[in-house]
This record gives sequence, C-alpha cells and structure tokens, in this order.
Amino acid sequence: MVEQLVEALSCPPIQRAVIACVLCGASCSLLSVFVVLMKMPLIGVSMSHAAFAGAVLGLLLDVNPFASGFVVCLLAAGILGPLSDRTDIAPENVLGIMFSFLMGLAFLGMGILTRTKAGALNLMWGSLLSLSGSDIRILTVITTLLVLFVALFFKEIRSVMFSRRLAASSGVPEKAIYYALLFLTGAVVSANLATVGGLLIFALLVQPGATALQLTYNLKHFFLIAAAAGIGACVSGLFLSYIFDLPSGASVVLMATAIFAAAFIVSPKRRSNKSGERNTTHATDIR
Amino acid sequence: MTDAILELEEITVRKSETLLLDGISLTVSRNEFVGLIGPNGAGKTTLLNVIAGFEPFQGSFRLFGQRETGKRSRASRLRVGYVPQLFPLDPAFPINALEAVLTGLVGRLGLFRSPGGKEKEKAMNLMEMMRVDRLAGRPLGQLSGGERQKVSLARAIIQQPEILLMDEPTASLDSAVQKEVLNLIDEIHRRESLTILFVTHDFTMIPSAMKRAVLLDRGAKVFDGDVDTALSGDSLSRLFRYPLETFEHNGRRFVSYG
Repeated sequence: MVEQLVEALSCPPIQRAVIACVLCGASCSLLSVFVVLMKMPLIGVSMSHAAFAGAVLGLLLDVNPFASGFVVCLLAAGILGPLSDRTDIAPENVLGIMFSFLMGLAFLGMGILTRTKAGALNLMWGSLLSLSGSDIRILTVITTLLVLFVALFFKEIRSVMFSRRLAASSGVPEKAIYYALLFLTGAVVSANLATVGGLLIFALLVQPGATALQLTYNLKHFFLIAAAAGIGACVSGLFLSYIFDLPSGASVVLMATAIFAAAFIVSPKRRSNKSGERNTTHATDIR
Repeated sequence: MTDAILELEEITVRKSETLLLDGISLTVSRNEFVGLIGPNGAGKTTLLNVIAGFEPFQGSFRLFGQRETGKRSRASRLRVGYVPQLFPLDPAFPINALEAVLTGLVGRLGLFRSPGGKEKEKAMNLMEMMRVDRLAGRPLGQLSGGERQKVSLARAIIQQPEILLMDEPTASLDSAVQKEVLNLIDEIHRRESLTILFVTHDFTMIPSAMKRAVLLDRGAKVFDGDVDTALSGDSLSRLFRYPLETFEHNGRRFVSYG
C-alpha cells in the first residue's frame, strides 16, 4: 500500500490534489472555528450554496466559475450580514428561504445547461484529481489571506466571537471583522468548489471546528486543532479514495466525520461541561 | 457650563407598528448613579440600548457634549462601558475568565497590539477587587452566574469608561449573590467615580449608591426623582397597577403585595 501511495505521489495531478487538500483543509477548518463558535452554520450553508449557484451561472454564461461563484457569494454576504443584525425578523427563516432559493437556482442552471453537465457536477461534488495550476494558485492566495486575517486580528476575532455586542460596546470594529469573515467565507467556499464541491464543503465548514470544541478551551489551540483535523480529513480522504477507488469529496467528508466522532468519544470537556450547564439557564441572549 | 454628560431629548424608538420609547427626555450629570426602573416591556433596555449605541432612534442625543447619531465613533464607545444581563455561553467555549476580562481592553489597545504584562496585571487587580482572581484560568462557561457577572464587571471597568451602563446585571442570580454583586457595584461607583445607569425591574435589589430613579412605563417616563419617592408604595402601585407597599429593614427594601 505504501509503494502504491509513493507511486501515486510522483504523479503531478495527485501532487496537486495533495496540495489542494492541505489548503482546502486549512482554509475550511479555520472558517469552521467561526461557524461553530459564532453559531452560524446556516450562514455557512447559505454561502456554500451561493458559491455553487454562482459557479453554475458562470458555466451558463461561459465565464470563470470561481469568479462568478465569488461574486454571488459577495452578494449573498451583502444580504446575510445586515440580515443577521436585524432584531425584528428571525434570520433563520430568511436564511432557510435564501438557502433553498440558491439551491433551486443552481439546479435550474444545471437543467438548462445545453452542453455536458460534468462541469456542473464537479462543482457539486468536487474533483481533486482534475485541478489546474491556477486552481491551486487561487486557493493558496485565499488560504494565505485567511491565515493572515486570523493572525493579525486574533484579539479582535476572539472578542467578536465571544459577543458581538460586547465587542462593539468596547470599541472593537466588530462590523468590519464580521463582514470580513463573511467575505472570506465566500472566497474560501468559491475557491474550494473545485476541490470538495459546493455541497460537501459545508461538512468542512462545521466538522473541524466541532472537533476542536471537544478538545480544548484555548482559542489558539482551537484554531490549530481545527486546522489539523481539516487537513487530516482532506489528505486521508484523498488517499482512501485513491486506494479504494471512491469519490474523493465523499471520502473527505466521511473522514471528517470519523475524526469528529473520535474527538467526541475521547473529549475531556464533555464530562466537565455537565456542571456548567446550569449557567446557561434563565438567561437572555445578547449576541 | 453644565456637567451633564448625557442629554436625551424626545427620544423615540419605533419597531414596525410598536412604539418602544415615546419621547423620553433625560439628563444625567457626571458621577450620578441613576436607576431606570419599570415593569417588563417598559422600555428600560431599549433606552439603555439607545445610549449604548445599539438602537437607532429619533430625537436629540448628546453624549459628552457631542451630538450622537445612529453611528457611534470608536472614541465615544470607549467612554461608555456596558454590563449586560447574564447571557448563555456554551460551557465548552474557548475563553477563560482572565481572557474575558481582557476583551474589554481590545478596543482601547487598537489594532495590532496585544495585551502585555501590564494589562494582565491590571486585569488581575480588577479580578481581585471583584473576588474572582482565583478563577482567572477557569473556562468562563464553567463559572457560576454570579462569578460570570463579576467577571463582566471587571471587563467593563478595564475599558476605563466614564459612563457604565448596566442592563439588569443581577437578573437570574440568587438573592445572596445579587446582594454581593450590588455591593461590588457600589464599590465600583465609589472607587472609580463613574456615572452609572442601572436598569432593573427588581426594586427590592437596588444598589445603595443609587440616589435617583427614573420610572418608565410603556415607553414613557412617568417619574424622575429621588429613589425613595420613586420606590414608595404609592408610586410602585401606580407603576405596576397592583396594590404594593414597601418597607425597609436592615437597609434592604421589602415589598408587601396588597
């Protein structure tokens, strides 16, 4: 099996796929920290479907799917951001409507695509083995931007994740941080359409963060554990798919779930958290 | 020349068809401790949110002599501290008590500067004042409600505000812990010479430093004056539309339902 893997690694498409797995795992898992700690999985799922719908639109209009996916993501972020700040409407309902609308739009686009639908299906499931050099370059730039964002604004990010309202009240530019996060989510999701696809990426936007939540109370360690879990899921999923001839996107997601399950089972936090449950009762949400 | 640092004139807040605040006018001077008291739905928290810069409003609002609009500047935010009600926090959330206190300094430090030894020492001193210094390394979500509110007070003070806004900081706490938190609030007022606006619906749990009370009912101001008159049986009976009598024993106010 080792020989088989070594041989595979000498092949340029596999090399590109491994690099993409590391970048995809790192970028999605860093975002998953925000998605999990700020409790915004619906925003994550809506953004991933916005990227998917935009990319299908790109195929229809014969423009770069990454570019069109990114533009639609930015539009979605522009709608979702103010929406989540509203206190007079339930954002969950509107997010649900938006998510299903974008999904409908994507399938409509796929339905009226006159030429082969393989490209659109690749956007849905991803295709690690058919990545181009420019896909990798885009992914590298966006992952680097995200890592810099986290490193440079760590204390602001911690403050915003703890409570947006408290962050705002103490002079933190919380809106700028929050909107930057939404835009980076759009960029990461769009850039990863070619790797794990617009449907499966949602798993990577939640599971690495949920894995880290089981294991640490330290936010720096949280980011590192999430990144390790995400990269581990992507790389091991790729190798499993190669060895057993399975769809790569699905293998990655199933590995991410397996890593989460292992973390949940060994979690030292679950037991100690039971005593903390009392703190969450009879309280008002100020976030 | 006036030492008023907060001047509200005809502040109105409307959400859809509902009038939440109906032309509230209020002036607060430096170092005053003012209670905003009223039943549920009176508009207390909405008024506090306007002052904190969280709520759009109509009317005229001057803070530290500057006219405020919907958008609050960073400089202005730094001068206003905020202590919310106890809010739900995942016990697994990755932040400890000391880190939570230090989040109050993030805005003041500005971008690209992390809290160093001096800031951590200051945070520990405040935590000692709040009697939670031994909990500095504990995950915040695993502290009791009272301990979390003490951390919240330290977080607000480390910001070095000039006005402290408190939105029912003792709600959801048991009576003994409520009293302990109220004593700390009195101590903060005395030591830091802060102007404090304190929202509560529980008129039996009032900090002793509070000398002035503003009673709100259905979005309107119905009384503004000394706290003893505000919390008399007649006044509260009118406010809560229920016959109430109050009496004091050992410095605590008790209520008798008629």
